[in-house]
Parts: sequence; C-alpha cells; structure tokens
Amino acid sequence: MGGQTGFGPVMTDDDDDDGQFFHADWEARVYALVRVLQRHKVINQQFDELRDAIERIPPAEYLAMSYYERWLRAAEMLLAEKGLLPDG
Amino acid sequence: MSGGHAEVPVAARVRQLEERLISAGLITDAELDEILTQVYDSASPVNGARMVVRAWTDPAYHDRLLADANAAAAELGFGPGTRGYLLKAVENTPGVHNVIVCTLCSCYPTSLLGPSPSWYKSFAYRSRVVREPREVLAEFGLELPEDTEIRVWDANSETRYLVLPQRPPGTDDKDEEALVSLVTRNGLIGTATC
Amino acid sequence: MARFTPGARVRARAADPDGHTRLPRYARGHVGEVVEVLATWSLPDATVRGVTQPEPVYTVRFSAAELWGSGSHAVLLDMWESYLEEV
Repeated sequence: MGGQTGFGPVMTDDDDDDGQFFHADWEARVYALVRVLQRHKVINQQFDELRDAIERIPPAEYLAMSYYERWLRAAEMLLAEKGLLPDG
Repeated sequence: MSGGHAEVPVAARVRQLEERLISAGLITDAELDEILTQVYDSASPVNGARMVVRAWTDPAYHDRLLADANAAAAELGFGPGTRGYLLKAVENTPGVHNVIVCTLCSCYPTSLLGPSPSWYKSFAYRSRVVREPREVLAEFGLELPEDTEIRVWDANSETRYLVLPQRPPGTDDKDEEALVSLVTRNGLIGTATC
Repeated sequence: MARFTPGARVRARAADPDGHTRLPRYARGHVGEVVEVLATWSLPDATVRGVTQPEPVYTVRFSAAELWGSGSHAVLLDMWESYLEEV
C-alpha cells in the first residue's frame, strides 16, 4: 500500500471516538473468533496466515469489503483450506 | 442461486461460522466472551500516556523505555497486552518528529493505545504517510517547521511502535494525572504533537 | 550471526516474491542504511508455508529522496535478512 497514489485525503475525523472498537457487534465477534482460533493454534498467532489469506482475496472484492469483513473472509478461507469445517 | 457471500447479511454469516466452529468443537461461546471482555476492559490510550508521562518525570524510566519498551510497559502493569511483539518507543525532539504506520496491514499496539482509528486502517493513510508525511500531518492540523526531520516508522508483524511526544512547555507544575490527560492517542501515533 | 551491522548500506531485494512477504513494494530495489539489529525471528514468507526459518531482522532507514525522488523525510522499516543484500 505504501506510496500508492490515487487515494485522497485522510479522513482525520474518521475516528470511532465514541470509544467503540467496532461499528457493529458482528465486527467484535469476528475479532474474538479469530483470537480464539489463534489461541488454539488453528490459525497462526503472529497473524501471518490471516494476512496472507486477506492478501489472496480477489482485489475487486477486497476493495469492496470493510476491514472486519476481510478478516471474516480470510478466516473462512483458512478454515476451508485446512479442512476444518464440515460442508454445509 | 449461487448462495454467494453478498446475499447473506454479514452478521448472520458470522453467527453461522461461530455455530459451525462450536459444533466442530474448535471454540466455545465462553472463550469468545472472554476475549471481548479483555479487549474492552484493558486497552486504552491512557496506558500509553502513563508510559509517556513516567518517561517525562523519571529520567531513569525514560532511558529504560528507549532501551526496552516491553520491559518498561511491564513495569507499569502492561506486560500481558504487549507480550506478543517487540515494542519500540521512538522519541520526538525539537528537531525530529516521528509518525507510525503499518502499510502492509494495520498493526497497532492496541493494548497501549486502545482501538485503532478508522483513518489509521485506511488506504489513504497507509499509502500516503510514507510518501508525503508533511501533507498528511497538515490534514490533522499539525504543521511542522521545514527543518524538522520527519521519521515514518512502518511497523511489521513483529514490531509495534509508540511515539514518545515532547513534554509541552509550561507544565512543570502539573502532577502525573494532569500530565496523563495531556497525552492523546494521536500524539502516541504521531499525528499530533502530544 | 547477523550479516549486517549498524551503519551498513544495504539494498532491499528487487524481486517480486511469490506469496506472502513483509517486504513492502515501495522499498524494493532501494538502498538504505542499517540503524539497528533488532532481533531474530522466523521469516514470514517461510512461516506461512509451515517452515520455521529464523534470521536476523534489522531496522533499515531509507531517505525519501531514495524512495520517491523527492521529500526530506525518512522511512524506517524492519527487514528480515533475506530481504537485504550488500551494496
């Protein structure tokens, strides 16, 4: 991302200043879900696996997703790749 | 119907995934709640501010902070939240101003600064602050003299950075609590002077 | 044994690695100066493939002029030894 041009002003007020981490409950739950999977070492604790999966989200989808949507998608990808969830 | 992601509201998708993981025995609801409680209770920029103020008022702590910020954080009780990475404190001086980013993702010392703001995670910040930091800081209302050297620290997965702002002038008579209230989250990131 | 010491001039590798890496694109091919030898950690490019490959990690300073052709600031990056070559 560093140095790429074409991105406009930084939304300095975009601040979540009501003290909330998350815009919605589901975002907090995605965060917690990933952390628990890391604690159980299902996903690597240094976040490399998660980041790698996020980077493999197709660009058009990546850009349309919010931050925690990407986490969710990445977690789904990793779990499927590791064969950890039954189909359905 | 392909049943693709866009057709299921995301909150429902999250709950479905949780339920499948719980059925598969990989996680429990209690564990999820435990993480959420930790996260909400312990992470705050007041933690980082306390480290900064201790460094301002205690020269020996200042030196320890610069030498080993993880140990310095642990001294003040912030060890558990900073255990997973190498914490580095970078000091602002009259000639040097530091600002932090993670261009590759958005790593951030949450336990010391609280939740990371949306702008920190934004493409605009991550792409521009390494290239034109002076202009980005101006958008935060921070205008630095031309001869101030700006250092942009790009964190990776293993390191997190904390800016040690300069102590504001005219604060010699303030006690620790008053000083802590002067240090803002943006000051700890480097998008404000303090 | 760390290959580089503080003050050494190094170049970030220019090659575009396949897969996950922590070498930002904007640094590739550019010359910087080692500021500090930070620690020894497993290379993320390997870790993500299930392989542990510990190596020294350095804080490397790049000038804005070097990276972007203009500007007076510096960008400091932590880089695994595999990302660097001698100048």
